[in-house]
Amino acid sequence: MADTRQRVLEATYACVARWGLAKTSVEDAAREAKVSRATVYRVFPGGREELISAVVAWATLEFFIRLYEQVQGATSLEQVMERGIMFAHRSIVEDEVLQRVMQTEPEKLLPTLTFESIRIRQGIAEFLVPYLEQRGVAQGVNLKEAADFLARMVLSYMSAPGRWDLDDPDQVAQLVRAELLAGVVAGPGQDAGPDR
Amino acid sequence: MAGGVAGSMLPSVEPEATLSRPSSPNRVRIIDATLACLALHGTSKTTVDDIARRAGVSRATVYRVFPGGRDEVLGAVVDTEMARLFSALGVRLGEAGDLTEALVGGIVEASTRVRGHAALAYLVEHEPEMVLGHLAFDESDRLLATASRFTAPFLARWMSPMEAGRVAEWATRIVLSYAIAPSSEMDLTQPAQTAHLVETFVLPGIRALHAADSPTAIDITPFEQGCDQPDRHAVRGAAGGRPTTPPAAHHRLSEYSNPVEQYKGATT
Repeated sequence: MADTRQRVLEATYACVARWGLAKTSVEDAAREAKVSRATVYRVFPGGREELISAVVAWATLEFFIRLYEQVQGATSLEQVMERGIMFAHRSIVEDEVLQRVMQTEPEKLLPTLTFESIRIRQGIAEFLVPYLEQRGVAQGVNLKEAADFLARMVLSYMSAPGRWDLDDPDQVAQLVRAELLAGVVAGPGQDAGPDR
Repeated sequence: MAGGVAGSMLPSVEPEATLSRPSSPNRVRIIDATLACLALHGTSKTTVDDIARRAGVSRATVYRVFPGGRDEVLGAVVDTEMARLFSALGVRLGEAGDLTEALVGGIVEASTRVRGHAALAYLVEHEPEMVLGHLAFDESDRLLATASRFTAPFLARWMSPMEAGRVAEWATRIVLSYAIAPSSEMDLTQPAQTAHLVETFVLPGIRALHAADSPTAIDITPFEQGCDQPDRHAVRGAAGGRPTTPPAAHHRLSEYSNPVEQYKGATT
């Protein structure tokens, strides 16, 4: 069942990449996955609508798995945030499927994506907690509150860089070390400095 | 979002441009009636007839003021609500005596207005696609640029225009984040909680950013007291109409306009 689910989702993603969210049907997904329509309905009883929500959730999770792998080797809070923001920003800009869907049918994508972003934020916050513990938070700073605040800001910057050039390691280091972490952590960092 | 009603929900012009348009009583009446309709039925079920009835004017009057009909009215509603928000923000920021007051006041004002907006609440609940399009990726960048372009000159009383731009953008991100996904622990409509957030996370960040750019520590009190104080009456007088940039910031606007114009060019 898990295998079938994965196969149908991958096939659905391929269809969305080709035709978009609105034009992808259960038949298309079934044909692409080489399973029957009945099989798709068995895994996704809600049909097309459930399938589309599931594929957005799945693609989002895939993105976070890649992000997680990217920051795995980081040894400090600063490094994990810098690598994370840069990688996530690049991935979003270079994600052709995401960019095309955002151009042509954002109304189909955004309700699900916004809902998913709440889970993502919790995931980022939980991921940051041990790094914050290791780094040590400033006096009077609540660890959970800081993690939630940082996760919100990471999400905000990765999706909309605003005035910052997030391809420039120096700017990202300034954003993370000065703007975002100055109030959160205790004293200057002991790590080797930003990635070059 | 392409065309149609969805397209018209975009703020099509800069708030400054909207605000300088003379608003006839009928125009305001129609816009306020539309807001009331949206709060009850959303965009898809609101017709020109509904709007005319609620405004107490004829259909012909609605079309005379808004020849484009329903879509044009909806576009004007977004522009007007943005203008009203910026106008209220201008008053709050203009009155602030120091940077902390400006940040806390601005964040609370914006959060309260967003939270208490009945039409917006209806749309978020029933037609989320109408709202979310403005809050994601490139459109979010556009909104950040518009909001920070308006609020930065007020903050430039306490820091360089470059820094003010960044801080204004940061504050906008904070408002948006907690508006889209409210937190049970942090309610930004509450001044005490907002002050805690600003003092804990934002002010140290502003000081550190400043230190990273220049060797002297940032002065949180208004510099050049007196000549630099904005004319509060001018700002206050703008509450119902046109928000004015605090006159005090004008001499720095020339420096400020450079990165802003570049940014504008990159996003439009």
